[in-house]
Amino acid sequence: MAKQSKSKKPIKTNVSIRTNATNTWCPGCYNFQILAGVQNFLENQMKMGKNRDDFSIVSGIGCNSKIFDYINLGGLNSLHGRVIPACIGIKVAKPSQNVFGFSGDGDSYAEGMEHLIHAARYNSNFKYIVHNNQVFALTIAEPTPVTEKGYKDKTTPKGVKLAPMNPIKLMLAAGASFVARVFADVNQVQQVLEEAQKHKGFAFIEVIQPCIIFHADAGYKDKLYNLQKSGHNKADLKAAMEKAEEWDYNGVKTGTKIPVGIFYQNDNKPVFEELI
Amino acid sequence: MRFNIIIGGKAGQGPNIVTEVVSQGLVSAGYHAFYAREYESLIRGGHNYNTLTFSLIATRSNQSKIDILVCLDDNTEKVHKENLKKNAIVLKYKEPKENMHYAGALYKILGLDFRILENQLRKLKNLDENLREARKGFNDETRSLGIEKPQNSNTGFKLINGNHGISEGAIKSGLQYYYSYPMTPATPVMMMLGDMMMEKDAKHKVIELESEIAVVIATLGSSLMGARAMCGTSGGGFDLMTEGLSMAGQAEIPIVIYLSSRPGPSTGLATYSSQGDLDLALYSGHGEFNRVVIAPGDALESAELTNQGFYFSQKFRTPVILLGDKNLAESKSVVETEPKIIEIINSITSMEKFNSYEHNEAGIAIEDAETTAKNFDRRAKIGKEIAREAQKFEMYKIHGNKNSKNLIIGWGSTKGAILDAMHDGNIDAKFLQILYLEPFPEKILDELKKANKILIVENNATSQLSKLIATKTGFIIEDKNKILRYDGRAFFSDELAEEIKRRMR
Repeated sequence: MAKQSKSKKPIKTNVSIRTNATNTWCPGCYNFQILAGVQNFLENQMKMGKNRDDFSIVSGIGCNSKIFDYINLGGLNSLHGRVIPACIGIKVAKPSQNVFGFSGDGDSYAEGMEHLIHAARYNSNFKYIVHNNQVFALTIAEPTPVTEKGYKDKTTPKGVKLAPMNPIKLMLAAGASFVARVFADVNQVQQVLEEAQKHKGFAFIEVIQPCIIFHADAGYKDKLYNLQKSGHNKADLKAAMEKAEEWDYNGVKTGTKIPVGIFYQNDNKPVFEELI
Repeated sequence: MRFNIIIGGKAGQGPNIVTEVVSQGLVSAGYHAFYAREYESLIRGGHNYNTLTFSLIATRSNQSKIDILVCLDDNTEKVHKENLKKNAIVLKYKEPKENMHYAGALYKILGLDFRILENQLRKLKNLDENLREARKGFNDETRSLGIEKPQNSNTGFKLINGNHGISEGAIKSGLQYYYSYPMTPATPVMMMLGDMMMEKDAKHKVIELESEIAVVIATLGSSLMGARAMCGTSGGGFDLMTEGLSMAGQAEIPIVIYLSSRPGPSTGLATYSSQGDLDLALYSGHGEFNRVVIAPGDALESAELTNQGFYFSQKFRTPVILLGDKNLAESKSVVETEPKIIEIINSITSMEKFNSYEHNEAGIAIEDAETTAKNFDRRAKIGKEIAREAQKFEMYKIHGNKNSKNLIIGWGSTKGAILDAMHDGNIDAKFLQILYLEPFPEKILDELKKANKILIVENNATSQLSKLIATKTGFIIEDKNKILRYDGRAFFSDELAEEIKRRMR
């Protein structure tokens, strides 16, 4: 009998969490902030004695998902919209695995929406990061379900007529047990991952990540305020829903306030892989 | 001599359970039996019926004419009376009875020992009530079919269907996770594996997710962790899975997908049978990648080919499509031996990066021309290795008279009807059953060249196997030599025998 067919080398476990793949994000892209936050988080985990083989990474398709190539962990660079079922498959096969899914607003809120809603219901214990730049960047500037009204590109010359959806509200309504939003800032990303890591269950983390080429920062940074510092009770679903309604993703106006931090956390919801 | 019983009634009246206890009784008594289910896509009412064919000789299909018609409702007689043989027995009552009343009467008509029925009923709920009804039916019935009895009742025969064979083959291959979204006629595998999950020492789990898309991707997720995972669906669900199939091809992740066909296009006939998805199994998914497509012809082959499917998927990190149809999936027939099971060695033993992008050895996306072309060449080489490895297995089987100049070709679930037709019609022919559709046993060309007369039998409208044979061997089978049935129903062996003889003249 012939040797087992293997196309790839196994991941070496004694080298850096970073790969030597050429980074192809635009210079100055906010994704670098997210990547640095994720790397810092992972390196901290390793320092704390975790084994790299206990971590897996899954990504979709889009600028965000290139992160798969830049983090030296096993896993799958999946299809557009199909990050969540791959994460579930990994968790089912090995419930103790620390699984991190990376996706964009395209593959979370458009193509993969069915999986997102069910992920909140299943509560499989993995961490799910949405790089929300409010645009299909890699295919050159088309609007997504979270693009603000009036946004114009070549495909939508009359401007977007539909109001953007509010993913935070959606996740709260769908029963997600951990719902957070941060801005694409290395420290904010690292901190929220550390909180999410302590959470047992599905963690939904949206990262506001302005696209500097196609969807420039509308001044979000100046509108942010931290939920935890403002005394928000993350165990209170009703309060979380009210906080979620403070910003509708439809651009910024005078007086706009964008809450960041953990909207909601419930550690008592049963986990999918323990229920099947 | 074969005998045919139709047991019909409304959905909910229990024609299935009557058929089951009667056919199990026949098998316990030493007969060969085969039964197929015909049912409509509804839960209560309508007209559902099962055709049970039994004999002292091997029986793997139904015939068209009826010896006993069991009418659980009035409509059954109306629908089927034109197919009654002369002197056929019609079992009906002025007022409908409890279903086990009919079973008791049938046992009497068939000359079966009531104690066998009692044993069957012990496996069901409501023993006292069922037993009372069955005994009344048995005692009140006076007619008899007057048939020869088997000499040996201790045959050890098992009466199982293709779905059972697939479940058994999967478990014997070390199945850990079966992902699925319900779709007829693949659903019973999900149900059967669900039942088996409750057994002591069960090592597998059945997981239902929100769509076939989620199902195929999650199967790949478990598989890339080194787990043995499988999913199953019918044509419509398989359409949704094809992006995952293509990813399995690029990322080289092992996966076994059970595709149980029903007539399309689209929703088609949801609860009937077809071999219309061979092209789908062979050519679905975008891009060029390796795959294995295998098609069992009966319950025993279902178990063996499921096992071989796991073997190929693991060894070559390739998608494997196990192709069946409703006729294979849901028809029960006698299995006389245990399946041959081979050992499977896991291909993934450590953490790796898998990528839907073209990628380098580290699993990192690449775009350069050289690596891209090299990857295609490397995958082509694996394709050749798969083809070489497949030759160690029975890629096709030759049945019947091996020296005959008449050749009948078939694949999948038509096997039973072809074998029974050849036997009953005293047809001098060699039957070439193709089990491996991809890689394809190209050396069948020798058989094609040797034959004077070639007939191909398929349950589809365009003779998809003929197209494949032409593609792979250059051999063209003429339209006049294609016996095709595409009305959602399986071949009856008596009608098929007549048709084969007519075409051979």
